[in-house]
Amino acid sequence: MRARIPIALVAAAIASGTLGACSGAAPDSASTKTTPSETPSKENSPYAQLAKLPDWSGVWEPMRFARPSAGETPPAPPKLTPAYAGQYAAFEEKNKSTPGINFVSEVANCVPPGVPGSMQQPYPIEFLFTPGRVTVLIETYSLIRRIYTDGSPPPAEPDPSYQGTSVGHWEGDTLVVETTGILPETSPLNGINGHSDKLRITERIRLAEPDVLEITTTRDDPAVFVEPYTTTAHYQRHRDWKIMEYVCAQNNRDRLDEHGNPAFSLERKPGE
Amino acid sequence: MNVQTVIRPALLCLAACLIGAPASAHHSTAMFEWGKEKTLSGTIDKYEWTQPHTFIWVVVPGKDGKVQQWGFEGMSPSWLGRRGWGIHSLTRGDKVKLAYYPLRDGRQGGFYVRITLPDGRTLEALPQRPK
Repeated sequence: MRARIPIALVAAAIASGTLGACSGAAPDSASTKTTPSETPSKENSPYAQLAKLPDWSGVWEPMRFARPSAGETPPAPPKLTPAYAGQYAAFEEKNKSTPGINFVSEVANCVPPGVPGSMQQPYPIEFLFTPGRVTVLIETYSLIRRIYTDGSPPPAEPDPSYQGTSVGHWEGDTLVVETTGILPETSPLNGINGHSDKLRITERIRLAEPDVLEITTTRDDPAVFVEPYTTTAHYQRHRDWKIMEYVCAQNNRDRLDEHGNPAFSLERKPGE
Repeated sequence: MNVQTVIRPALLCLAACLIGAPASAHHSTAMFEWGKEKTLSGTIDKYEWTQPHTFIWVVVPGKDGKVQQWGFEGMSPSWLGRRGWGIHSLTRGDKVKLAYYPLRDGRQGGFYVRITLPDGRTLEALPQRPK
């Protein structure tokens, strides 16, 4: 008996017109009605248009070592201006004397890398397509990039930020992204700390194979690079992976010491 | 990180770097003697399943009878968690054999490479050389 009461109430409400607005029978609905030519059909609505974009669903893991060995030649070293050639040469020299990854940056202090470095972290990224925008979710450091594809121009004077200001457009199945307004203290390339406010990053993103995403990244900054410098990275699709939480400050024992090296703290709090 | 600067050091140091050189994008790995594997047998004191790195605290009896503490950084849950590891992979009290790359500064610690569990199972903690 108890189950019948709500049904009876709903029936009564419909009968009395209380739920009329929900059923589309509100008296003023005719005044807000648009003409058929202004109403996008379901087939050509902005969301339906997304179905025409390539399938980048799933989670993309940087391939790093695996991919370059597959017959690719490493790119030539960058041609750098005198202002930046010295620090890059020192970085290269250090890689010979102490093999390993020798870059030293504020990233060790959990300050996020800027573009393009944020796209080249070891953990996966994923792409979301919504009308007028592509959103990149980056697991490492839990970063977000918003790439506006609605045709609006980037702001003339964007506030400098780690991820910069990105606009994009589709050339067939390739997403072309232009990013400016990147904070000048970020690294445009491992071994180079800093750049000018003229840094412009152009990324061309496409499926190189059904489950391999290719991102070609060009760095253009006359203060740093004598000519634009391009590298290519590949990402493997994992349809069954989920992006994980990544809070860098959770247990960072590698803050930079007074010499700028990771501290590797072996301190334990009492009871830890 | 980018392809160019990862490839170049890899080509320079060949085998030593090929096994898991990109241990971290978070910081330099130059503080470890990367590739110079050592082993330690001890008892798990704590396993920290945390970002940006996991951490293993191991205790071993010292020559003077006092317990010595060692600390080992490892790959993150982001890497290990997708390769069979989890927060319960190591439990306090487990007697393990641990392979690691030592710190250059001589302190009791390093980067863990592989753990052999009490039941004999071995857990790899770094990317393996492509076969």
